Amino acid sequence: MKWSGYNNLEEFSEHDDAELDSLKRRILLAGLVILVFTAIIIGRLWFLQVFKGDEYKNRADNNRVRVSEVAAPRGSIKDRKDREMVTNRPSFNVVLVREDSNDVDELLKKLASALDLDISMLWEKLRVAEGKPRHIPVRLLEDVDWETLAYVENHNQEFPGVRIEAIPSRVYHYDNLAAHVIGYLGEISKKELAARDTDIYTGGDLIGKMGLERLREIDLRGEKGSSSSEVDARGFEQQLLKNVEPLPGNEIKLTLDAELQKVAEDLMAAGDKAGAVVAMEVKTGRMLVLASNPVLPIDQFVGGISHKNWNALLDNPKHPLINKVVQAMYPPGSTYKMITAMAGLGTGVINKDTVFYCPGHYYFGKRRYHCWKHSGHGAVNLKRAISESCDVYFYQVGLRVGVDKLAEYANKFGLGHKSGIEMEHEKSGLTPTKDWKKKKYKKKWQEGETLSVAIGQGFNLVTPLQICLMTATIANNGKQLLPQIIEKVTDPDGKILSQFEPVIVDELKDEKKFLQLIRNGMEEVIQGKRGTARKVRIKGLTIAGKTGTAQVVRLKQYKHLKEEDIPYKFRDHAWFTCYAPAEDPEIAVTVLVEHGLHGGSGAGPVARALLETYFADYLQLAAEEEAEKDKGE
Amino acid sequence: MFRIDRRYFYNFDWVLLSLLLGVCGMALLNLYSASYPPSPWGMPPYIKQCYLFLLGISGVLFILFFDYKELHFWNYPFYIFIILLLLFVLFAGNAAGGAQRWINLGLFKLQPSELAKLSLVVTLASYYSRKEKAEGYGLKDMVTPVLLTGLPFLLILKQPDLGTALMLGIIFVSMTVFAKVRWQTLGLGVALGSAAGVFAWFYLLKDYQKRRIETLLDPAKDPMGQGYQILQSKIAVGSGGVSGKGYLEGTQGHLHFLPERHTDFAFSVLGEEWGFVGSAFFLGLYFSMLLWGLYVAMTARDRFGVFLSFGVVMLVFWQAVINLLMILGFLPVVGIPLPLVSYGGSSLLTTLLAIGILMNVRMRRFQAGQNAEKVEQ
Repeated sequence: MKWSGYNNLEEFSEHDDAELDSLKRRILLAGLVILVFTAIIIGRLWFLQVFKGDEYKNRADNNRVRVSEVAAPRGSIKDRKDREMVTNRPSFNVVLVREDSNDVDELLKKLASALDLDISMLWEKLRVAEGKPRHIPVRLLEDVDWETLAYVENHNQEFPGVRIEAIPSRVYHYDNLAAHVIGYLGEISKKELAARDTDIYTGGDLIGKMGLERLREIDLRGEKGSSSSEVDARGFEQQLLKNVEPLPGNEIKLTLDAELQKVAEDLMAAGDKAGAVVAMEVKTGRMLVLASNPVLPIDQFVGGISHKNWNALLDNPKHPLINKVVQAMYPPGSTYKMITAMAGLGTGVINKDTVFYCPGHYYFGKRRYHCWKHSGHGAVNLKRAISESCDVYFYQVGLRVGVDKLAEYANKFGLGHKSGIEMEHEKSGLTPTKDWKKKKYKKKWQEGETLSVAIGQGFNLVTPLQICLMTATIANNGKQLLPQIIEKVTDPDGKILSQFEPVIVDELKDEKKFLQLIRNGMEEVIQGKRGTARKVRIKGLTIAGKTGTAQVVRLKQYKHLKEEDIPYKFRDHAWFTCYAPAEDPEIAVTVLVEHGLHGGSGAGPVARALLETYFADYLQLAAEEEAEKDKGE
Repeated sequence: MFRIDRRYFYNFDWVLLSLLLGVCGMALLNLYSASYPPSPWGMPPYIKQCYLFLLGISGVLFILFFDYKELHFWNYPFYIFIILLLLFVLFAGNAAGGAQRWINLGLFKLQPSELAKLSLVVTLASYYSRKEKAEGYGLKDMVTPVLLTGLPFLLILKQPDLGTALMLGIIFVSMTVFAKVRWQTLGLGVALGSAAGVFAWFYLLKDYQKRRIETLLDPAKDPMGQGYQILQSKIAVGSGGVSGKGYLEGTQGHLHFLPERHTDFAFSVLGEEWGFVGSAFFLGLYFSMLLWGLYVAMTARDRFGVFLSFGVVMLVFWQAVINLLMILGFLPVVGIPLPLVSYGGSSLLTTLLAIGILMNVRMRRFQAGQNAEKVEQ
C-alpha cells in the first residue's frame, strides 16, 4: 500500500541500496560527532572533578565556611593587694563585611538614616579599610549602646553584610591611675602588623601601645578563639560548624599599691603640681608608687585619640605625655650631697668629725661660690652639713675628692645608668667626669665645675627613680636592688608563671660602715631642730631624708625678684627624698615637684602624706601605746 | 489507518523507553535536590515536572497509535499554528526578564519557541525527504528551507531569546548538511552566515547578549555577573570530586551560590552531589539514548523516518552539548536548558514528543509494503 498522495514518500526497497548506504554513512558520521562531544564533555568533567577536584572543593568551602575570630579577653591587672585596676567587659561593635553586601552605598545610606548617623563618618571608616581584603569586617561603630545593638540584631535581614561583633574591652577601675605604668591599647598599625606574627594579629586588633600593655603584650593578649559557620550566598549564617573558645591572657599582679598611688597622684593634682612621686620597698626593690603628674588621660586614647586632644597633650607645658619617673632628668640638687659625703668618707678625705667653716660663701679662684644660707653656718661637721645642707662644706669635700671620684660613688648608688626597671624609654641620667667633658665638649674640665657638681648642680642629671634608688640603697645599708613592678604573673588556670624575687644589683663592701653617719645626718634633716624638712615630721615615726633644690636657669633679671614672682618655667625644681622608719627602714619615698621651689615646702608634704597612709596601722598602734603610757603615768 | 498490528507491540522500542526512563528518573531525583528545600508557596518544581512527565509519556504512548507518516501531512498546519503562537507571544505573552516568551496555561507556561524547534525538525524532514538529489542540493533548493527556518528564527530573536533562535539555526544547518548540499552552496551559506553574524553583532544583539559573549572571552571583565555564574557552576561541579558530596548534600546549590540551579544549571547540582562517577554514568546513559536515536534513524523504513529521527536526535543533542559546555565553562550563558534535566514544562514536553517520534519510527521500521503483502497472504 503506497502513499500515492506523497510522491516521494517511498519506502526503501532493495534497489535503493546506494542511497541507503550513503545515508547510513552520514548517520555513522553523526554518531562519531556525538561520541567526540561526549568524550570532550566527559574529559572536561574529569578535569574539573578529578584533576582539579580538591582545588574546587576548597573553593566551595571558602564560599560557604566563614571563619571569624573571637578576640581573647586580655589579662587583668591587679595591685599588690589584689585590687582590680584593669579588667575587661564585653563591648559591641557594628561591623560591615563588604564581601556580603551587593550595594555598599545603598546599605550605608539605609544604616545612617536608621541609626541617625553621619554618613560621611561611615564613608571615612570604609575609606580607611580600602586596602584590606573584602571578607575582613570593617568596624563602623564601636562600643554601641543596647538600643543600637538591639536594632541592628533585629533588622539584620535588611542590612546584608552588617553584623555585630562582641569584643572584650578594657575597664579602668581607677580611671587614669598609674596610666604611665599601665599604658593603653590601640588598633594595631600597618607597621606593627608587618613586624608581628601574622598568625596572631590581624588588622583591627588591639595591641598594647605603651606601658605594661605594650611591654607585657605577650602575657596579656591571650589566644584568639575562632568560630566557623556555614553561610549562604547572601552571607546569612546557616549553622555553626566549629567553635574554639578564646584563651584569656595572663593576669598580672603589680607591686604597686593603688591606694598609695592614688594619694600621691591626688595630692600632686590638688596642688596642680607637675612632677613625680616614687616609693619603693627598701629591702626588696618592689615599687609601691610610680606616679607622674599630670597623669596621662587614658580615656582619650581608647578607640584612637583625636588630633585636637593629641596636640593639647603635646602643647601642655606640664608634659603629661612624659613619664617623669624615668623619662625626665633633673639636676639632683642637694639630694646629691649624700654622694659627696659618701665619696669624702670613702676616700678618707673627711671623717665624721671633720669640720669646715662656712662664712656663707666660698672663694675659688676669682669666683665667689655662695652657700644657700648667705649668713653662713659657721663651723659645721658632717651631720650638720647634711641636716642643714651646708653648701660650703660640700664644696670643700668635692674639691678634695675630685669629680671623677664623685661620679664613681654616684654610680655605686644607682646614678648615671639605667636602673633596668620594666618601663619604656628610661633615661640614664648623667654623672659627669673629666673624660666625659672632653669627649662631649672637647674642653678641659674646670675645677670650679667640681664645686657645682658637689652640691648636685652643674652637669649632674638624675631621674626621680634614681634618687629613690639612691635613698633606698643608703637605707638598705649599701645593697642596691633592682626596682621591679611585677609581683606575679598567673595564667588563666591559676598557675603561677613568674613570681617576684629580689635582685641585688650592686653592694657596698667595707664602705658600708660610713653609711650610718650619712643616715644620722638624714635623720637630723627631719628630726633635728634646724633640719631643712622639719615640717615633714610625723609623730610616732622616725623619718630620715634630704631636701633638694634643682636650679633651672638663673637669669640675672630674676635675681632680685621674690621667688613667687619668677615665671613658672624658670622656678627651681623641688626635691624631697626620705625613708622610714629610720630605725629599720621599710620604704623609701622620693618626690620631685617641677618648679616647686623648695624641697621642704614644695615636695615634703606629698611624701609626708604618703608615709602617713603607708604607716597608718603602725602609727595608730604607736598612738594607742602612747595614750596608754599617758594613762599609766 | 488506525489498525493495530500486534507486531507494533513486538517491535516496540523497549531499549529507548528504558534509557528514557533511566535518564528521566535520575533527572527528577536531581530536580528534587536542586529545588530543595521546597519553597513554602506554590507547587514544588519537581512535583510539577513529575506531572508533566506523566502527561508527556501518556501523550507519547497515545500518538504511537498514529503512523509517523501522518506528520507528512500535518506538519504544515502544525507549523502555521506555531508561527501564530509565536506572533501571539510577541504581542500578548507574559513578560519575564524583559522577554516575552510564554503563554500561561496554569500548570505550566507554554513556551511556543520550544515547540517551534520540534516543528522545524518535522518540517525540514518532510521537505528533504520529498526532494531527493543524489548530487546534493543547490542554491535554488535552499530557498524554501531557509524561509521555513528564517520565519520562526526572526520571531524568536525578537522576543528576544538568542539561545533558542540559535538552536533553530543549528538544527537547520545540521539537517541541511545531513541532507547533502553542494560544496559551493555550503561555502556561500557559511559566507552569508558570517556576514549576518557580524551585522547582528553591531545592529541586532542587545547589550546583555553581547556581554554574555564578551564574558566568555574575558571572564575577569564581569566577575559578579555572567562570569560569577559560570565560576560558581565550575566550583559546584569540580567540588563534587570523584564520588560527589552525596544526594542533597551539595553546598553550592543549597546555599544559593549556584544560580538557576533547577533550570539551566541543574546538571551542576548533579555533578556536585554525584561526583565524577555519578555524572559520567548519567552522561553515558544520556548519550547512549542519543546514539540509539541515530540507530533508529539508520533502521528507519523510509527517507522521512531517517530525516525525522536524525533531526530529533540533533535537536536534543545540540541543546545538551551547548548546556553542558556552558555549565563546564566552555560557552557563555546562553539560556539553553539540558533537555529532560532542566526544569521547564515546554522543554520537557517537546523533548518527550521528540523521543516519542523516535519510538514511532522504530516501531514502524518494517516496510509497510511488505507488511501489507504479508497481511494479504
